Amino acid sequence: MFDWILANPYAVAGLLLPIVIPLVVFQILPLLVLIERRGAAFIQDRAGPNRAYIYIPVLGVKLRAFGMIYNATDAVKLLFKENFIPPFVHKGWYLFAPGIPVITGLLGLALIPWFAPMSYVAGESLAVLSGQMIEANSGILLLFAFGGLGVYGIVLGSWASNSKYSLLGGMRASAMMISYEVSMGLSVMGMLMLVGSLGLTQVVEWQGAHTWGIVVQPIGFLLFLVSMFAECNRNPFDVAEGESEIVAGFHTEFNGVKFMTFMTAEYLHVIAASVLLATVYLGGYQLLPLPLPLDGFDAPWVDLNTLWLKNHLGIIAGLMLAGGGAGLLGFAYLLVGRRRTYQANDANAVLKAERSKEYGLYIAVFALGGLGMLAGAVASVMLMHTAALGQTINNTVIFPGWVNAVTAFIQFNILIGKAMLFCWLFVWVRWTLPRFRYDQIMALGWKVMLNIALVNLLVTAVIAKLVR
Amino acid sequence: MAKVIPRPQLSFWENIYFVEIFKGLATTWGHAQKNLIKGDFPTRNYPDELPALPRDYRARHRLMKRPDGTPRCVACFMCSTACPARCINIVAEESDRLDIEKRPAKFEIDLLLCVFCGFCVEACPCDAIRMDTTLGVMVADNRADFVINKTTLMDWAPADYPATDTQSQKAPGGSLHAQALADFNSGNRH
Repeated sequence: MFDWILANPYAVAGLLLPIVIPLVVFQILPLLVLIERRGAAFIQDRAGPNRAYIYIPVLGVKLRAFGMIYNATDAVKLLFKENFIPPFVHKGWYLFAPGIPVITGLLGLALIPWFAPMSYVAGESLAVLSGQMIEANSGILLLFAFGGLGVYGIVLGSWASNSKYSLLGGMRASAMMISYEVSMGLSVMGMLMLVGSLGLTQVVEWQGAHTWGIVVQPIGFLLFLVSMFAECNRNPFDVAEGESEIVAGFHTEFNGVKFMTFMTAEYLHVIAASVLLATVYLGGYQLLPLPLPLDGFDAPWVDLNTLWLKNHLGIIAGLMLAGGGAGLLGFAYLLVGRRRTYQANDANAVLKAERSKEYGLYIAVFALGGLGMLAGAVASVMLMHTAALGQTINNTVIFPGWVNAVTAFIQFNILIGKAMLFCWLFVWVRWTLPRFRYDQIMALGWKVMLNIALVNLLVTAVIAKLVR
Repeated sequence: MAKVIPRPQLSFWENIYFVEIFKGLATTWGHAQKNLIKGDFPTRNYPDELPALPRDYRARHRLMKRPDGTPRCVACFMCSTACPARCINIVAEESDRLDIEKRPAKFEIDLLLCVFCGFCVEACPCDAIRMDTTLGVMVADNRADFVINKTTLMDWAPADYPATDTQSQKAPGGSLHAQALADFNSGNRH
């Protein structure tokens, strides 16, 4: 068994990735909740939730982690709430419904290419480890199908609740889903037409070989972005919930852990939508929005960007680590200033001492992390020389396993970084715009977005035909 | 005649939403980055950062002290009579000094009944009760703890009060205490 693991590292990696990647992506969720709460607070000129803490006895520090502890307190509160089931609901479907959006959200992540396919030598022939967990020819269509299934959980939950307010929320969600699914599909079609394939890996590779989707399809990008807001039931399209109109919307009758599951699914869909937007329109795991030069290599359909990345791995890893380290050091510097402010303002000496200790810990952690990353940057630039390691077999460049692993890690981080930009955009827009009225949403979806998407598709088709 | 307010007509750029959306995003981004980087919010970190209340703010009461540390109160019941909420409960007893007739054996204020009107301060003939502690926050776990007694009322330090407040500085620990105690012992108790 152990010998087999050592002999087939790529096969083992292929088996582990479907477990590891959802777990890693799930860790973005508490971060997203934190960004939502503190981002909302900062936009509205207030401090936001920052008071829950965990006391660490050894250090004597009240660890508040910038409000991160609220995630834990929320989870504990919701898990230990009474699991009340209203007597009038259809029990089976009612209990089953909250799980559906979570499952579809996680399945959507399985179709995203998280890193470039790695070629490796398996015995006599070449084999490829894909960055996607499910590699289907239908690609993005399957992703849309999973996304569309997510609303089934909402409708089923609202229907099984046997309450008119829930049902109204569920019907609104499903009607909006149907309306915006149309313009979503049509807007992304322009991109797929240029690529000539439905596979997401091919979409990303095309962007590596040409340029990012947002450059060639700006209108398609905007339409797709707006449709994604509607798909995720996020403001300004959050009519599925409406306190003033339909009590709480589709989750009126849900409480405790069932409600938490619905909320988890909402944020999971935000993450999935962000990753999809980054994949289709922001180059996915590609580093730069232009094809990079490569000496003595002229194969027409090849992932030049990834090859360039593998050839210059030390410099790229060094630059990324240096950027991350500078960011952490900057944050530590920010905390130094914050600590000084608290020293000036805090009410009494006990508080001052506590806060000084707490912020001292944060500053130490972030400064050490930043310095460590800077050291790692210097080390990777000096030690990682990969340009000579590639061997060309059957017109494919094969790199050693560790180069592939580091590349995959870097590309995963690039994709997550781009997705976090969109996550912030989701939060930012939510706290900027007022919500649309329901009929305005329908008018916008059917009378405006659908037409623009169709015209965009037509123009793209003509141009694609002329260019080819 | 009713005043007709014309419905505002949206211009072309306002009608396609996107320009206005980006303007709004720029506004909120300005606020977000200012608050993230500078960190000086218009709001206050309330229980950690307390507001500076002025001395004439009617806060929790205190009992003033003579230079020898006894309360200035002579248990005349003026304050409890003036109190519209009837929250002051005084039990008088005979003083052990020959020049002072009475003193409070018990002086309780029920903070849950108190309406913080300041009438007790106005009524007091001896400047014995004041509401200048700036203790605006009163917290307790049960109702009984909101009834504060003589010990709590006299638990204050002259150092926390300004030097111009001569009555407070005459109490034990104050800057004028030595002279005041000498005067007090020689019979000049005011």
